[in-house]
Amino acid sequence: MALTATLFKLFKGYSFRTTEISSRFCSALQHANNTNSILADKGKTKVEALSPAVEDLSTITPYFSNTFNLAAYINQSKTLKNLVDLNVNISKIEKKPYIVERFLKLDFEKDMKNHIIFLNNYIDMEDMGNFLTKNPMILCEPLEDLQVRVNYLHSKDFEENQIQRIVMNNPFWLMFSTIRIDKRLGFFQETLNLCGKEVRYLATKQPKLITYNIHSIKTNMFVIKEEMGFEENEVKELVLKKPKILMLNQRSLFERFNYIHNTMKISHFTIQQNPEILMCRKFRIKQRHLFLEKLGRAQYDPKKENYIPIKSLVEDSDIEFCKNFAKCSVNDFNMFLKTL
Amino acid sequence: MVKFKTAASAYKTLNGLICVYKPPCVPVKQVLHIVKTNLCRDLNALPDRPLEQRVEIIGSTNEPMKVKVVPNYADDPRVCGPRYIIEDFKCTWASHLGLFTSGVLLIGVNEGTKLAYKIKSGQPTRAYKVHGQLGKATDTYFWNGKTVERATFKHVTREKIDKVVANMQAAHQKTMFEQSGLQMDLQSTYELASKGLIRPADNKLPVLYGIKCVYFDSPNFTLEIQSVNEYDKYLWTLVHDLGVQLKTAAYCTGVQCIRQAKFDVNLALLRKHWTLEHITDNMNTCQEILDENEQLIKPESALLTA
Repeated sequence: MALTATLFKLFKGYSFRTTEISSRFCSALQHANNTNSILADKGKTKVEALSPAVEDLSTITPYFSNTFNLAAYINQSKTLKNLVDLNVNISKIEKKPYIVERFLKLDFEKDMKNHIIFLNNYIDMEDMGNFLTKNPMILCEPLEDLQVRVNYLHSKDFEENQIQRIVMNNPFWLMFSTIRIDKRLGFFQETLNLCGKEVRYLATKQPKLITYNIHSIKTNMFVIKEEMGFEENEVKELVLKKPKILMLNQRSLFERFNYIHNTMKISHFTIQQNPEILMCRKFRIKQRHLFLEKLGRAQYDPKKENYIPIKSLVEDSDIEFCKNFAKCSVNDFNMFLKTL
Repeated sequence: MVKFKTAASAYKTLNGLICVYKPPCVPVKQVLHIVKTNLCRDLNALPDRPLEQRVEIIGSTNEPMKVKVVPNYADDPRVCGPRYIIEDFKCTWASHLGLFTSGVLLIGVNEGTKLAYKIKSGQPTRAYKVHGQLGKATDTYFWNGKTVERATFKHVTREKIDKVVANMQAAHQKTMFEQSGLQMDLQSTYELASKGLIRPADNKLPVLYGIKCVYFDSPNFTLEIQSVNEYDKYLWTLVHDLGVQLKTAAYCTGVQCIRQAKFDVNLALLRKHWTLEHITDNMNTCQEILDENEQLIKPESALLTA
């Protein structure tokens, strides 16, 4: 069922030429020519056309026609089979035809093996499939470049386990040249006023942030600083606590903040202390807050009695939340949700 | 709760009507998309069928060849993609709710899309809770619009609202017969009308059967409305009209659908419950209700029963 549907995701037929297959194809052609001439010779001597063939014809295979997906090729290709055994999700790679075109020209023994052995220094074999699914193009990068990029991290005093984390959590890190990575690390150091240790901490905590779209990061910085009104050092602390805040959608981030700060009357300081409430979708905060308000329990000030920690609005399941903080059964909460 | 052993058996049961609770500010299209993706996610997590086998004949042709059965790589979900994808599901709504409207939403899944269509053409009555606020009028008649007018509302009491609302209801019931498409001076019309309320012939014109004020705490009030063929903007204008008739201004702060035909809010699934188990459970309950009330799908007369 799924297969037929994927068939519809047409991508323009790319020619399939792993070295292995194209060589086989060439030899098949040659062979066919030979047999033709032999048959022609035999035709002269009036040998019956249906007589059993004597020579080995197993090298003759049909030509690989254009296809909608790689599943058509996989049983013939040792390389692709090996990748599947490594737990690489081929169906995800094939969604991008321009990648497939380059990817298929690689040979497992020649082009991939050394890369995988190299990457194995930083990534466990179980995660290798996931890594290669996300970024198959790393196999097209020269091995020396990858080594240089890792050496750069060593030169910047990253520890071994930090480098492992960076490479594993951000499959695209090693695609970036050292110059670009250096520029980007510099950008974060400058805009957030970080010291060397903090830059390393930030890069290790959220490696994806460093290679993220700079324009979007700049917009998020603007939203946090100017629209939300956090101070320079508060922004730094927020980002170090939750680096993902710079990778969120600006509009939803601001809407969330708007609700928390202006409707729920939570101060900047509390938000800065508990930045995880900015990571939760607005409707979740909203429904729990409204429920507490209905119960008359929406009291987030730690200095007064019946204090409810702001974190409880985003953490745990609804069952836990109702039991620990709202002090009622989940059914009541569900009934309340049906009145919104 | 039903526990499924295989994904295929679960997929086969997914034909029918479900009843979900649509949150406000989430479009119906997105609701359908979430339901579909959740179903795919849960089905793909269930135990899969065993991999297909593939017969390979290898060896040179002039010698005895070997026949081998090997696993077929092309059948692996890692190669041909997940077993269930969004395009495998057909979903449609039985009656559309606007972006800002929340409440009961009937969704037909796969074969159930036909049921949804039939329910839609059966013109079910729907009950709404419409929340409004006095003292302010906006250009869209809803909270998202710009304020165009402010007015005092101290003179409005519960009695005055009830009076105006009863007046509106009477006016609507009068037009109900005019819109029924019947000739007024016939015996059959009289017989039909003597039995009670009737549906309109047209499926575009909104008809209200009952309006009641169920909550009043100045300036906020809530109306409960039973109607056919209405749409969200029509209900907003109703609140605006009410404001004008009360000699003040009013705008709508929320519309909530609490019942569609026999499907009420207790049956509806909340957003966190849109998972395979809950959905199949809900589908069974909905099917039971449909079996009990066949007139929902094939109304025999214009008489209003549900």
